[in-house]
Amino acid sequence: MRSQTDIQSVSVGEPTRRLPGVEGVWVFVAADMMVFALMFGSFMVSRHQSPALFEANRHALNPNFGGVNTLILLTSSWFAALALESVRKSRFVLAQRFIGGAFLCGLAFMVSKGIEYTVKLNAGISLTTNEFFMYYFTLTGIHLFHVVAGNVVLVVLWFRARSRSCDPERPVVFECGAIYWHFVDLIWMILFPLLYLMR
Amino acid sequence: MDQKSSLRFQLISAWCGPAFLFTFVLFWGVIGRNIPNPSPALSAADLAARYSQHLGEIRLGFIVALITVVLYMPWCSYISARMAKIEGGYPVLANLQLIGGALTVMVVSFSCCFWAVAAFRPERDPALIQLLTDTGWLVIDLQYACTTLQMVALALAVLADRKNKATPLMPNWVCYLTIFCAVSFFPASLTGVLKTGPFAWNGVMSYYFPYFCWLCWEIVASTYLIKDVRRRMREFESSPSVDGGAPRATALAT
Repeated sequence: MRSQTDIQSVSVGEPTRRLPGVEGVWVFVAADMMVFALMFGSFMVSRHQSPALFEANRHALNPNFGGVNTLILLTSSWFAALALESVRKSRFVLAQRFIGGAFLCGLAFMVSKGIEYTVKLNAGISLTTNEFFMYYFTLTGIHLFHVVAGNVVLVVLWFRARSRSCDPERPVVFECGAIYWHFVDLIWMILFPLLYLMR
Repeated sequence: MDQKSSLRFQLISAWCGPAFLFTFVLFWGVIGRNIPNPSPALSAADLAARYSQHLGEIRLGFIVALITVVLYMPWCSYISARMAKIEGGYPVLANLQLIGGALTVMVVSFSCCFWAVAAFRPERDPALIQLLTDTGWLVIDLQYACTTLQMVALALAVLADRKNKATPLMPNWVCYLTIFCAVSFFPASLTGVLKTGPFAWNGVMSYYFPYFCWLCWEIVASTYLIKDVRRRMREFESSPSVDGGAPRATALAT
């Protein structure tokens, strides 16, 4: 089946490589990355202006939470990639399981962040405590918002996989979802060292 | 109304977008002293001094901006009509766009109004001037969701337009950019809490970036809207006249 289509596409003269997803998703992701770049930039500027405050408050964060979050998101991204592979092989039931796995990871991330925030708020630390925690809450909060949106996307993909409403040769919707989910993961990969680890 | 006049009104309405943009930046931004805008961390006395120092400009800027802001209305009205054509029988998104656009005008108007009131009696208690300034900024920065809905409605309608794939109102990437710009307002909600940093109402994330996105969207959307009207004008002129004779352009020339 697969080789047959390959032969067909060669005979028609279509390029064998193509952009995954639709161009619009890349525009969206690129623009969103620009926003995060702006936020990381302003974080670095503020950090440069008061290094002592940032360094002292960084120690109030629990790097174990950040580390576990990183592992959760990496696993989730892996599940998303596996799901896309399964869809491409028309194995929709398997894809549904992988999407479910990615969704549960996203949920675990939210719970973990919820616990982390609660611990901070109970300790009397909030958005308005100081500049460092302003950045901590806004940056992780905006990232968390992206995770929530990603989980909504995963639910949509799960239903799509169940109804098998896509072309396995060109599963555009699944590709868009996976691109976005990897992007959310990537942002955390930068955010984690920036807030928790950088000396 | 004959089609030629209708098309002319459509073109004028589409051009009201760029006209709004220009007057908004000039009167609201430059003359109204909002680039850079006053910091929320400013003390009441300093804020009052800022008003007294630039009283004439601030009054002129906001009073004129309150008039020119309505240029946003014909623009939205045209977008809505064009969207209704795309949607057909149930123009839900077109209506949403229209309501969102209309309320955007009110949100922007009210913010200017509060600042105009603050500048009306600059000698009054500085705490009251601060109150009015705060109100103005929080009115405009916390109520962006009307504009968000307006933009998302437009993007969704054009993305779902499968009938006119050959001549879409806007390319798909513009729709995605529109959604992105609409979402870029969200950090502005933090202006309700923070007084310093990038999320305060004079910060990069809550002021410069989202406003820049909104104005960029205006330029890009207007460009495609105007192109679309011009294309339909050309089509109209080259279409045969009612009696089935020569195309309209030639018929008019002879």
